[in-house]
Amino acid sequence: MSDVDTAASRVGPAGPGDRPSSATGGGHPRRGRRSRPRRSLADRLRRDWPLLAMTAPAALLLLVFHYLPTLGNVIAFQDYNPFVGDDPVEAFLYSEWIGFGNFETLFADPLFWDAVRNTLTITAFQLVFFFPLPILLAILLHSVVSGRVRGFVQSVVYLPHFFSWVLVVTFFVQMFGGAGLLAQEMRDAGLQPWNVMTDPDGFIVLVTAEAVWKDVGWGAIVFLAALSAIDPNLYEAAAADGAGRWRRLWHITLPGLRPVIVLLLIMRLGDALSVGFEQFILQRDAVGPQAAEVLDTFVYYNAIATQQWGLGAAAGLFKAVVGLVLILTANHVAHRLGEQGVYSKR
Amino acid sequence: MKPSLPGASTDRRTLLRLLGVGAAATLGGGTLAGCSKEAGSKGTATQADAIRAVLPAYQPVELVKPDIPGQGPIPQGFLSYPRQLVDAVTEQPGRGGPQIKTMTPWWGPTPPGLGRNSYLAAVNAELGVEVNPSIQDGNTYADKLNAMLGARDVPDLLSVPNWEIDKIARFSDAVRALFEDLTDHLSGDAAKAYPNLASLPTGAWEYSVWGGRLHAVPFPTDGPFGWALFQRRDLLEKAGLATPTTPEELYQFGRQATNASRGVWAFGSVFDMVQQFFGCHQTWRKKPDGGLQHKYETPEYRAALEFTARLFAEGLVHPDTVASKGADEKQLFNGGKILMFQDGLGAWQGMQGEQAKVTAGYDMQPVPVFGANGGRPVIWGSEKPIFFTFVRKGLGKDRVTELLRVLNWGAAPFGSREYELREYGVEGQHFTRAADGSPVPTDLGRKEMAGQFGALGGRVAVKVRSGDTPTYVQDYLAYYRKHIDLMEKDLFAGIKLELPANWSKIITPTDDKIRDILRGRRPLGDLDQVVKDFLASGGEEGRAFFEKALADNGR
Repeated sequence: MSDVDTAASRVGPAGPGDRPSSATGGGHPRRGRRSRPRRSLADRLRRDWPLLAMTAPAALLLLVFHYLPTLGNVIAFQDYNPFVGDDPVEAFLYSEWIGFGNFETLFADPLFWDAVRNTLTITAFQLVFFFPLPILLAILLHSVVSGRVRGFVQSVVYLPHFFSWVLVVTFFVQMFGGAGLLAQEMRDAGLQPWNVMTDPDGFIVLVTAEAVWKDVGWGAIVFLAALSAIDPNLYEAAAADGAGRWRRLWHITLPGLRPVIVLLLIMRLGDALSVGFEQFILQRDAVGPQAAEVLDTFVYYNAIATQQWGLGAAAGLFKAVVGLVLILTANHVAHRLGEQGVYSKR
Repeated sequence: MKPSLPGASTDRRTLLRLLGVGAAATLGGGTLAGCSKEAGSKGTATQADAIRAVLPAYQPVELVKPDIPGQGPIPQGFLSYPRQLVDAVTEQPGRGGPQIKTMTPWWGPTPPGLGRNSYLAAVNAELGVEVNPSIQDGNTYADKLNAMLGARDVPDLLSVPNWEIDKIARFSDAVRALFEDLTDHLSGDAAKAYPNLASLPTGAWEYSVWGGRLHAVPFPTDGPFGWALFQRRDLLEKAGLATPTTPEELYQFGRQATNASRGVWAFGSVFDMVQQFFGCHQTWRKKPDGGLQHKYETPEYRAALEFTARLFAEGLVHPDTVASKGADEKQLFNGGKILMFQDGLGAWQGMQGEQAKVTAGYDMQPVPVFGANGGRPVIWGSEKPIFFTFVRKGLGKDRVTELLRVLNWGAAPFGSREYELREYGVEGQHFTRAADGSPVPTDLGRKEMAGQFGALGGRVAVKVRSGDTPTYVQDYLAYYRKHIDLMEKDLFAGIKLELPANWSKIITPTDDKIRDILRGRRPLGDLDQVVKDFLASGGEEGRAFFEKALADNGR
């Protein structure tokens, strides 16, 4: 929701892009062996300035849009009033400190815990019923030999990723809503239409179905990349040794994907308290907050919409802390099991 | 809401303790965890006397004599369009100042912007200063407004609907920090410099005072009722259905009119109107023994809820309304997919005029208000202005007077050339004249005009017959005259209320639970618990606040 929690949650995982260099650990041993005298700072600057110049924009972006807003977290401990003082900075300085008042209000609110429970339930459900699907799709696509068929299928399944949630939800309403195609067909056939879009009990299945439709193809991309990195000689050797299709899948494909699967699983765990915002705010009224209130919509309705910024920041901070703890724990477990996790262990 | 598990509360305490220890250790002191306090303001109420002291001196402007005179808050009616228009503003408002940025709500498609909009160009040429409007969707205006106020980044002129203000905690702080104090410009005789503003009703100005100072220009209401229940008269007649006159008939109408297999449902949203039929007050009513009673606590409200929940349960409400609160009910109504829905009376003339050309015989009419079980209905309404226009703070005296002259131009009354340009655009381009001389909007007019100036500031309200809505003025005024005695009295008229944060906070969660009951996701019996929760977590605080405001003003 706020820049605050985004920034904070980024502290935990390193991006996937960081992995290869730290994993291979290329430079270190060689430099150690040479043991050249340390260069002066000016020397190093002269040598490295193109690299620094290339890094600068990204670093600046990170600083301005992630690290700087992190300072705004102070309002979680304030009765923040954006209108005191003469400018926004003075508003931070002059707002009253109230210690953990915002957190107490938040934790005393049963609606907050309902929202947390809904969020975690949806996360758990989607870990089981959504997370494996891109892997299966990737394996399936990888096994398609015809490049043309594969390209076509890929385009079709990637496309919904680029639709906004408004479009996706509208599409589902037009198809499955009470006045939609399915309901009218069923009425014409003399059947009682099925209230897919307004049934609170089926909501978790509905949102997962929407998410699958929208993002399963997109999620498969990273697994496809990992699959193409598996040495084909392994398959040939295994086939020559008489391994069947299932054995090859079990002993070559899945172990080859394992680091990526573990990495994405850990990152998903760190995001356990985020399940998306637009998708839920759009359908909240259709099924009611008891089924559809997630942490982000709770913050929107109970903090942003009533201008209780401090409370919103407190919820964001809570989310970030929980995310960090989950990531560190999961990563620790991964290391114990001999996996690389989000960063390599020294 | 289910009670939380005992285990959960232990976890909360543990977590708090952990957090407290961490932060205290970082700061090197053990006091922090102990001194936590609840956030949020407790609310304030400005006395009616303090408000009267700063109001502009009222000075009516009458350019044309109305055919149907106004009556209290009911606007004047004109059955013919004046042949001779008058100049209401003789001096060009703009003095070549920089571009004026404005923001106004609009409930319709976004019009073309500055440079691609001939209507804007025509008005700006007349003003002598360039106005660059930002048009925002009225349904989601609060989102934009919240972000804008929080960032303290407001346009030169900002129009804010009254219902958004109630939802914003600390709005009076925002007013002081962000908007110009207009008292010295408009209080008493100073308003004579802006004659059209001085002609706005005093009842509207009363609401424009924050902290004892005049901070906004009001947009007076053109009729005090909040809602009407609209029906497609033409379709009802075609189906041989009579307009209901009791709740039971309304229900029977719903059963007969709904034909799901043909995609037709009887109702869109109706709950606010049903409450009025059953005699619920909008929020508070005085108890005979003194003190205030919230509508949730009354048997009338329970009956209205039960009635409406039955409409949902029996499938008499359009599925799109069931699926969201933002369903495009105007479209459904125009397309004959729903036959009744509630809307503000302001929607009437535009829809009737536009649809009469598309659908032959299209007849949109309000259902006359009726009571339940022989009881007396209550109509919700007040003379509160529809919008308030705020001037950005710190622009300097010259600029403020320029902006006020623009608002004065925007307040030019019916019968003036300025009124015609503002409301209808340029003849031949944005409107053509019917045989009786009244303007009829063209497609270009409908496309380019979106209240850029009409919603920017108010004027004395009138109802004018137009070529495409020949009976509208009589129908509108007759509806008001028939029902005005049923309107509830605003207990707090003239008192400026800044609501306590806990009160503002409890509204949405309670609405959510009520909606759950309406849609059948919770049993009706849950209402008692919902009301108990509501009173415990802000409702009682609100009651004490409102009772004190009344007592302080001797009411």
